[in-house]
Amino acid sequence: MIKRNEKPPLARIELLQGTLDLIVLQTLRWGPRHGYGLVQMIDATTRGVLQVDAGAIYPALHRLERQKLIKAEWTVSENKQRVRIYRLTAPGRTRLAAERSRWEQMSTAIAELFVPPTDAEEV
Amino acid sequence: MFWKSRASRMRDLNAEMQTHLEMAVRDRIARGESPEEAAGNARRTFGDQTTVRESTSDMWSGDWPHQVAQEFKQAARSLARVPVFSLAAVLTLALGIGANTAIFSVINGVVLRPLPFAKPDQLVYITSQFPKMNLDHFPLDPAEFIELRERNHSFKEVGAYVVGAVNVGADESPRRVTAAVASASLFAAMGVPPVAGRTFHEDETLPNGPAVAVISRDLWQTAFGGRSIVGQQIQVDGVARTVIGVMPSGFDVHDEGVQLWTPLVLDPANRNQFRGAHYLTLVGRLKDGVAPERARSDLETMLAQWNVLDGGNGKPPSECCGNGYVHTPHPVEHRLRYDNLQGDIVGGIGRTLWLLQAAVGFVLLIACANLANLLLIRAEGRHKELALRAALGAGRGRLIRQFIAESLVLSIVGAAAGIALAKVGLKVFIAAGSSSIPRAGAVGIDGRVLAFTLIVAIGTGVLFGLAPALHLSLGNLGLTLREAGSRTTAVGARSRMRNALVVGEMALAVTLVIGAGLLIKSFSNLMSVDAGFDRSRLTTFSLALPPRVYRDSVRRVAFYDNVLRELAAVPGVRSTAAMSGLPPQRSINANDTDIDGYVPGPGDQKQPNIDYYQYATPNYFTTMRIPIVAGRGFGPQDGPLSNPVALINETLAKRYYGSVSPVGRRIRPGGDSVWFTVIGVAKDVKQAGVNSNTGTELYLDYEQLPRDYGYAPPAMYVVMRADLDKATLAPSIRKVVSGLDASLPIVQLRSMDEVFGDSVSQPHFIAQLLAVFALVALVLSAVGTYGVVAYSITERVREIGIRMALGASAERVLGMVLRQGLALGVAGVLIGVAGAALITRLMGTMLFGVKPIDVGTFTAVAAMMLVVACAAAYVPARRATRVDPLTALRAE
Repeated sequence: MIKRNEKPPLARIELLQGTLDLIVLQTLRWGPRHGYGLVQMIDATTRGVLQVDAGAIYPALHRLERQKLIKAEWTVSENKQRVRIYRLTAPGRTRLAAERSRWEQMSTAIAELFVPPTDAEEV
Repeated sequence: MFWKSRASRMRDLNAEMQTHLEMAVRDRIARGESPEEAAGNARRTFGDQTTVRESTSDMWSGDWPHQVAQEFKQAARSLARVPVFSLAAVLTLALGIGANTAIFSVINGVVLRPLPFAKPDQLVYITSQFPKMNLDHFPLDPAEFIELRERNHSFKEVGAYVVGAVNVGADESPRRVTAAVASASLFAAMGVPPVAGRTFHEDETLPNGPAVAVISRDLWQTAFGGRSIVGQQIQVDGVARTVIGVMPSGFDVHDEGVQLWTPLVLDPANRNQFRGAHYLTLVGRLKDGVAPERARSDLETMLAQWNVLDGGNGKPPSECCGNGYVHTPHPVEHRLRYDNLQGDIVGGIGRTLWLLQAAVGFVLLIACANLANLLLIRAEGRHKELALRAALGAGRGRLIRQFIAESLVLSIVGAAAGIALAKVGLKVFIAAGSSSIPRAGAVGIDGRVLAFTLIVAIGTGVLFGLAPALHLSLGNLGLTLREAGSRTTAVGARSRMRNALVVGEMALAVTLVIGAGLLIKSFSNLMSVDAGFDRSRLTTFSLALPPRVYRDSVRRVAFYDNVLRELAAVPGVRSTAAMSGLPPQRSINANDTDIDGYVPGPGDQKQPNIDYYQYATPNYFTTMRIPIVAGRGFGPQDGPLSNPVALINETLAKRYYGSVSPVGRRIRPGGDSVWFTVIGVAKDVKQAGVNSNTGTELYLDYEQLPRDYGYAPPAMYVVMRADLDKATLAPSIRKVVSGLDASLPIVQLRSMDEVFGDSVSQPHFIAQLLAVFALVALVLSAVGTYGVVAYSITERVREIGIRMALGASAERVLGMVLRQGLALGVAGVLIGVAGAALITRLMGTMLFGVKPIDVGTFTAVAAMMLVVACAAAYVPARRATRVDPLTALRAE
């Protein structure tokens, strides 16, 4: 699950279903990551607005792995730790492109809602 | 991705989670937290590890056995929370599935399960036909048997037998046993070896052979206590016979229950002396690789040549010869027929059983409709839970899976209980139906029945589990969430679905009740058929004099004369008589007969064949109260010393005398005895069963037989009209008979009402079964109607409250709810009546004296179902009138 950050109410963002997949795929575009790394990276890049917890990230990773959108392998980290890293597959890239354009359409559409119609007065 | 075991995946996931935590702790320490703080915070941020593990492992594919198990575990837990609902559902299913299992066991045992012999499909039941005399499935004569055996090219072996009954045992406890006279080849044809000793050698079936017998294992156990028997002598009809072998249980050619076999003594060299005496039934074992069709074409070739081979001129029997004509098979006038043995045993009962299966199928569908409605209503009550689960990420597929899992748990538990019920039911079935259903002994629950039950259970579970699942797709989940908060919308689609289910089950119940109604009406028609005599206060039993002890016909007549005289002296007995055949259902006893003055039409047989010879003592007509329609009955003036006399029945008079009075005309039984004078015509008495046309019947005076006919049968039925019932008479009967001959068992001691009951036991049994199923269907559909109407009232409680607050009277509310029940009933009845009109046509031969579309039955059932629907709606309707407007409105 996507958990809201402990920030003032205005900063809360409720995510639509399926958005977590988009976030994971998009984040993996910058290179293979392990689960912890992904959580850290999402936290850092969204400046703490989106905080994804472990209970949400692992089911998502394993689901995407089953769908063959990402691939997992065991390697050794720079700290000499055995880690399971995930990388995007070719179908994963295709899916990401599709999801991303869908997301852009949607956010554009929502943004349009905030533009006042030219022939109407704002009450 | 390679398939990995769940355990190894779990190890990977644990390692992955462990690394995650370790890295989090390290980062927190680097940010300046103390190791203790860091460990605690990392764990807290991570969340509950078990939950993470579970929700992640849910994502794994290739792990379906575990997921399915999880699904079922969850379903069982969820059902255990609603024990009353679950118990009701399981009981309903146990009843429905149990009934289906029971009926399928019967079909399996009777129709589907092959006969317990090697290669049963090779066994051919061979009988003969005389199409002009409407004789089908008629026995063969010994000459035909010998010649068929010699001439055919299809059979490895052909056996012949005839079933009768013998008295077995010593003086004190004689036992009446079903026995067969059998050729040595019969055992080879059936391919069943004895469990001890041997069967007959061919030379034991020649004249003057040794007195031997083969007995069944059952008889060996019951009559001889299982002691060493082979080589021992036993008394069979007063003759000492050496037991040479014991046949295994279940060795039975045509479901006749034969317990003892004696040799069929025939002299092939002297075959012509047996011609025309049709009393043998044959069983052939096809050679390996010979198909039944090839055997039949072989038969056609044989039939065409038969007459010529026997020195005849090839002309059909009707165009040749007068008296003494030698019968031989002929392609048109005297055919032989080959039937698959099992097919012949099962006969018409297969269709009846499949109809019963359809009936219990209906019952199960009705039960399914009820359960679907129950689950729908339960699903309505679970909106919040479902909405929550959907919000937590459970996909629709997941929720549907869970519904199906719940219904499967119910149906499988129900099926297990159903099998237990079926076992009990089958015991009752076999006890009640063994006399009317062939092969009832082969009925039981085997692998195939269990497989059937499993398929039915799964099919049932999916069927009624789909209803709430469909309901999920009707309202989308967003809607579900909103509704959980406020219940402003009664979603029309869902109440339509509930109503459709109730209408459907009502329709099925209507069809079933109409079917049962038709059968009950048929049965009551059967029971009220005029059999030609007065069956009240009649008691009957049978005696069989051992022919070798009572060799002389005069002695036989004297014995029965004594029995009847002594019985007539018993206080309360008004009249007694003895006869060779017991109406209303006896085996055919047809003989060629000369009728003086009868001129056969073109193509008619020159010598008429009369269907039933009845040898009766003079008191027969008065004791049975059979009206004499012309002339007179046997009287005191007739006897062994007076002129030979005979009576005929109305059918015989009409067929062979037309409008001319037969009284005073002559008739010559068997074609070679003396002429008998017809003294009267008796009203037709049923002989081939109450539902069959009466055949032609000739009555001869038993006392005159020794002198004028040369033969008096040793086995006779005694009938007594008395003021006392069977049980009271029994001791007197036993005393009289044992006083005359202690070695004679008294068998088939019954009241004539019981005889009638036995003659219609199959239609009675089937009608009873269907009536029970119809009743269950009726109750289930009434419960279903009640449930749906009652639920709709809880849904409409606010509306009703408003109506009452606005001044609607209690009667108005009552009427409104009753109308709802009635509307469901009317729809169900209309569809059910239409369905019944289509289906009852299939009942054809099961009906007697009633048309498949019987307006009376259809109307009565329709009216009854409407009353039931109203009654089912009345209970909730009364409750609706007691709705308190204030409470109802406040509740929202």
